[in-house]
Amino acid sequence: MTMETKVEGANVIAAINGEIDGKTAPQVQSELLAALQSGNRLLVDMKKVTYLSSAGLRMLLLLYRQIAAKKGKVVLVGVSEEIRDTMSMTGFINFFTLADTQEAGLSALS
Amino acid sequence: MKSLRVPATLDALDEIGRYVITATSDAGLNSKAAYGLRLAVDEISTNIITHGYEEAGGAGDITVNGELTESALTVVLEDTGIPFDPLTRELPGEDFLSLPLEDRPIGGLGIFLVLKGVDNFSYEYSEGKNRNIFVMNRPGKN
Repeated sequence: MTMETKVEGANVIAAINGEIDGKTAPQVQSELLAALQSGNRLLVDMKKVTYLSSAGLRMLLLLYRQIAAKKGKVVLVGVSEEIRDTMSMTGFINFFTLADTQEAGLSALS
Repeated sequence: MKSLRVPATLDALDEIGRYVITATSDAGLNSKAAYGLRLAVDEISTNIITHGYEEAGGAGDITVNGELTESALTVVLEDTGIPFDPLTRELPGEDFLSLPLEDRPIGGLGIFLVLKGVDNFSYEYSEGKNRNIFVMNRPGKN
């Protein structure tokens, strides 16, 4: 798993590449939480995320809470069908805004 | 199928995942079924590594064994960590799953995803070994 985060104006944009499992979820979590120091509007590009386990759900849950506490917003971009399935059967999907492209994601953030 | 034996550390999750993905492709499972099995095996492996060994201060191996028959693909995980039957865990019900994320306890979803992902899951303990058994029916063979 690799990831890149950047700050663009009021938005924090993170792109993740690879698998989010019990090993990598803590890395993703600490990088995203650190990025939230720079702003409370977060776009997570997950087009290249091929796998997400319950450790990834736990990371999303903590992220969601941090952002809610900062009265910010999070948009997930390009979430695969399999990951959407996992998020819907666990009741996560309704709490996140999903977008197909970064462009659509950015307009959902503003 | 040749079995895989790896040290029970989080670094091994990748290799276990690749083993399962290869097995699902040999078995001709569709991508949804393949993903579900990989997720199930990964969840249990993670539990074995973090609770079965690390928290208990022990080290050991996990053996992954895939068996392909005409009608099914069976994957068996074997470990010598603390005995733990995942089926004794209370599963999140509708009440839990419809709670807002602010109000939910963290965790408790792994075993739920295991049971959702496979056609059959069972657990045995004998001769000092946990055996977690995952079964997927093969398409068009039942």
